[in-house]
Amino acid sequence: MSKLLKGNFEPKKPVNAPAPTPETLEGRFEREAMKRLGGSIAYVSKKKVMWDLKKKD
Amino acid sequence: MTKVLFVNPLVREEDVPRHVPYGIALLAAIAMRDGHLVQVYDANAWRLGEGALREVLGADDWDVVALGGITTAYGSIKHIVRIAREVCPKTTIVLGGGVLTSLPREMMGWLPEVDVGVIGEAFKTFPEILDRLGAGDRAWPAVKGTISRGPGGKLAMSPARELLHDLDSLPFPAWELFPLEEVYFPNSQVLFSEEGMLATRRLDINASYGCSLICRFCYHLGIAGDMRYVEGKDGELNVEFDRPGAYTRVIRYHSPEYVVKLARHAYDRFKINFIGFLDENLMTMDQSSNRVWMREICRLWKENGLQPSYLRDGSERTESWTGIHWSGTSHATLCTPEILKEMRSAGCSHLVYGYESFSPQVLKRLGKGSTPKTNIRSFFWTLEAGIRPIPNQIIGFPSEDFDSIRDSMGAWERLGIVVKPFFATPYPGSEWFAVYRESIEEQHGGDLEKFVLELGDATKITAVISHNFNAVELLGLRELMLMKDRVRIDEYERVWRASRKIPAGHPSTLYRDPSALAVVGG
Repeated sequence: MSKLLKGNFEPKKPVNAPAPTPETLEGRFEREAMKRLGGSIAYVSKKKVMWDLKKKD
Repeated sequence: MTKVLFVNPLVREEDVPRHVPYGIALLAAIAMRDGHLVQVYDANAWRLGEGALREVLGADDWDVVALGGITTAYGSIKHIVRIAREVCPKTTIVLGGGVLTSLPREMMGWLPEVDVGVIGEAFKTFPEILDRLGAGDRAWPAVKGTISRGPGGKLAMSPARELLHDLDSLPFPAWELFPLEEVYFPNSQVLFSEEGMLATRRLDINASYGCSLICRFCYHLGIAGDMRYVEGKDGELNVEFDRPGAYTRVIRYHSPEYVVKLARHAYDRFKINFIGFLDENLMTMDQSSNRVWMREICRLWKENGLQPSYLRDGSERTESWTGIHWSGTSHATLCTPEILKEMRSAGCSHLVYGYESFSPQVLKRLGKGSTPKTNIRSFFWTLEAGIRPIPNQIIGFPSEDFDSIRDSMGAWERLGIVVKPFFATPYPGSEWFAVYRESIEEQHGGDLEKFVLELGDATKITAVISHNFNAVELLGLRELMLMKDRVRIDEYERVWRASRKIPAGHPSTLYRDPSALAVVGG
């Protein structure tokens, strides 16, 4: 069982993390659906890009 | 000896927890080094709600409950300090980090439960607070870098705290006090490169503090020498950050030996396979060190056996390796092809570039020292080195107009950039915040706290600072940019021009340089 508190001494009352509850199908669906709405993205998609600095950019 | 409970507040709740809070991990290590009793509750990692928080707060007789974080953690901090005061009425509550530093007087007003605020860097201030508490001394105005409550609740700001220059005197972060196996390692993946995608045990390192540049949207909150103490018209001391024409900077970095020793420690103790460098801008440090710093880190990385095995052996990249891949933040104008190649050979997988825009006029006004040409040049240098450039973009700059939008779209198309831009956001501590504060408050009904509560990672609009577009227009234009729909953008420009009475052929802008305007509170 994981301890919620981590440190260099034993606290008076130990606090453990509750056993993880299995995710409901509804919860999983909503989490997956949220990913489709999400945040920012930035990447380079082309394998090969030609570089010509003389071109006006 | 002081008994301290660190609480890491929730941040970016829409995503899983990905980053061990570096500042808290360092302060916990400093407190333990100095002989104090330390416990850490990582509320952001566990995300268990109020019941668990109450249990943790009631687990011992804490002398100090210490919190900190960036401004976007404000909502969680407000909740935590309220519960902390209820459960631990006699405990001293200390708040630090960017959230307090950016608006110290406002924060102490909004959070009456906080006893002491740490303004700026806490490496010297926080241990002094713990030592004094251990000795039964609560004379906070005598501790530099604090804000506290005097008689009648009047706020008292002590003199500014100097920055720590011998960064290598810092102990290694106390990563072991955070739920690495339970939470952070399962969330190690960073979808910016193939190697980042395959990361299974990632930790982050901050190898330097500060940045030499003066990007108008950026904020350093005292750790970059950007903070000044000034007396306001009311005679009260307050902090001030970048303002038009008023910039100060201090650049500090760990020695390459410290950085690599720390990486090796993380590799040996926690068996990591990826490191994210949290530094604001690795290239600032490289340039400030006359191009020695980064090269030396790469050399020592290899010498200490941290280079990924396939790079060392010159074999094909596979999905398993020994050694550590790493990532960081670069800069379009400050990087060189030579250092990028060195970085790749030491295991660098991706570098975040704040290209922000490909419009010459936008970049010129941004204070970043980059141009479309340097953006493109660094993009290719990075690709040629075998590193993935992460080309971040922003929409909604003060001078954003239809031409700047088209400039960026053209570059995305030519360079194969797939990007959903961030919205230009005036975070507290940035120059934009100082310049547009009055307008920001107006947009939130005069309630600045409402704005701070709404602040997130700039993927949503929290305050508009564009002179040309409102929030609805910015959202629509970003969508059309993503869809590469130039026709509808042209169509909307005609409607926009007609409503603003700007004839075709004239610049599509209402922008006026804000540096010519009075700065609120100045």
